[in-house]
Amino acid sequence: MTAENSKNPSNGPVRNWFRGVLLDWDRTQMLICFLLVGLLALAPLFIHSTYYLGILILAAIYAFIGISWNIVAGFTGQLLIAQIIFLGIGAYTTIVLFNYYLVSPWVGLLIAGLVAGLFGIVVALITLRYGLKVDYFALFTIALMVALRTLFLKWKFVGGAVGMWFRLTEPSFDKMIFADKEPYLYIALGLVVIGLLVQYRIYRSKMGKYFLAIREDEDAAAALGVNTSLYKTLAVVIGAAMAGVGGGFYVMYVTFIEPPQVFNLGLNVEIVMAGPIIGGLGSLAGPLVGALLNKPFAEIMRGALTEGRSGSSLIVYGAFLVLTIMFMPRGVTGVLHTIYCWIIRRFTSEEPGEDQNGAA
Amino acid sequence: MSPEIFFQIIVNGLFTGGIYALVAIGLTLIYGVLVIVNFAHGEFLMLGIYVAFLGYSLFGVDPYLIIPIAFVLIFGLGALIQRGLVQRVLDAHPLNQIILLVGVGMLLVGLVQFFFSAEPKAIHVPYETAVISAFGLRFAIARLVAFFASMAISFFLYLFLHYTRTGKAIRAVSQSRDAARLMGINVTFIYYLTFGIGAAITAVAGALLAPNHRMIPTMGQSYSVIAFVVVVLGTMGNFIGAFLGGLIIGVVEAFAGFYLGGDVKIIASMLIFILILLFRPAGLFGRKRA
Repeated sequence: MTAENSKNPSNGPVRNWFRGVLLDWDRTQMLICFLLVGLLALAPLFIHSTYYLGILILAAIYAFIGISWNIVAGFTGQLLIAQIIFLGIGAYTTIVLFNYYLVSPWVGLLIAGLVAGLFGIVVALITLRYGLKVDYFALFTIALMVALRTLFLKWKFVGGAVGMWFRLTEPSFDKMIFADKEPYLYIALGLVVIGLLVQYRIYRSKMGKYFLAIREDEDAAAALGVNTSLYKTLAVVIGAAMAGVGGGFYVMYVTFIEPPQVFNLGLNVEIVMAGPIIGGLGSLAGPLVGALLNKPFAEIMRGALTEGRSGSSLIVYGAFLVLTIMFMPRGVTGVLHTIYCWIIRRFTSEEPGEDQNGAA
Repeated sequence: MSPEIFFQIIVNGLFTGGIYALVAIGLTLIYGVLVIVNFAHGEFLMLGIYVAFLGYSLFGVDPYLIIPIAFVLIFGLGALIQRGLVQRVLDAHPLNQIILLVGVGMLLVGLVQFFFSAEPKAIHVPYETAVISAFGLRFAIARLVAFFASMAISFFLYLFLHYTRTGKAIRAVSQSRDAARLMGINVTFIYYLTFGIGAAITAVAGALLAPNHRMIPTMGQSYSVIAFVVVVLGTMGNFIGAFLGGLIIGVVEAFAGFYLGGDVKIIASMLIFILILLFRPAGLFGRKRA
């Protein structure tokens, strides 16, 4: 590169850097993500309706939670279907700490992540030993979700079947309560940026390579000396902790939680699974791109198709999942990658970078 | 606990367990042949009970008479789902298979909720609360019928799998896909058939529940979970294991319900699940290593 530089003085360092980013599909995806985050950050300048801002905030929260699932399911290929259990535990932790012990949600979110992560360790220890059938993990998480729903319905301390309202007081920064929607949007976007960076660091690290190796062929990875039980557990714990933080912020924003609503496969698909799957499971940009399509599109479809009749959101999300798996298993990012390869081949002499995406 | 209560709990547990056995046999059959966990499994039970409701509310037909119709309808639906959807992801990553089936399950629940609403529905038949007393025990007629019907269906299915050409072909495919194909078995057809049968007997279990069971569109999920526990207990893909596992889980739940209260019995199933995973992951009928 330096030799080329000296020959062609018009190639400044900035331009070279930019060229390097665009020739690398992974870094191009990150660029797309940060452009999207930037656009979202500017959205309040143009959108004043609280309804639409609310959709954007939820989309950002879904993106963060989607990233957490992407690390477990997309990178590592683990069948953690009911990720929502960690989200629920994080949400309950945050709300209990705030309502009963007046712990500021800023701290509460971190504790929520910690508790959810610890719970993730327990789940992983039971189900992720090497040699256990992979399906067991999926079965176990769904069964655990139903059991937790029953348990929380009976548990009076956390409100039981009545659920729990966030004890709202006058707006204040350290209680994370705001009169306007904008601060929520910026906190959510902050989470998304952190999530994107964490995801990228993991992806580029040695651990990330182990994750991908486990996804592609666990036996082969173990034969090459990867401690598969350890790395599967790590993936689940990271995903669980992030989902716990995301769940904490989610409940801060919606201000109410009840067991049937949160320990629910329907909500699990809406919040956790739909985004990464539509966007492209296992890709870097997938969770964010998917979440931005998921929430607004589902709202429009629900209104337009069925006038909000009962069951319609299940139909919309069920169709989302089925259609994506049948016709676009690598998601929107997969389509973008195909276009990207075409552009790179057409306009440069380089070969486009290999795509590491996709459990598909 | 007096012996009457003890035996009454066992009887109740076996009655529930009969239904569980039928649902779990459907799941284990599909797993054994297709090596796919049907995450939409409980939804077929829900469809069965709603078919019975439809027949009852439209034509006033007794739910038991609708069972053959439910079998045929859901068999067709199952074969169709296999042909149109599941067949195409058989070689994909397990995650894609699960996502697809979760999606199918949501679609089914959503459609039923759309047409029947989320309100609980019930069928009222003359023998709804009829009870026979014998040996100091009480047997609710509807549940007695459901139990013996599910025993009979399991028995005939077992005979079918072991003593007919088609049944033997199904078992051959479950033992080795490639060897079966080399022997001239139409493996794809066996797949349609298996998914159809697995879905249909689960729907029959639903229709058997119809006379004394309230129905809501989301009821399938808890049956899915119980069926998961049962097949893991009885070794995935094992017919006898699913049958006995269903009865065992039924009895365990009945005792848990007696001591802990009805809603908490799922916790007992969950504990069993954890214990199996920790100490005997291959299940009761499997070889040592899963």
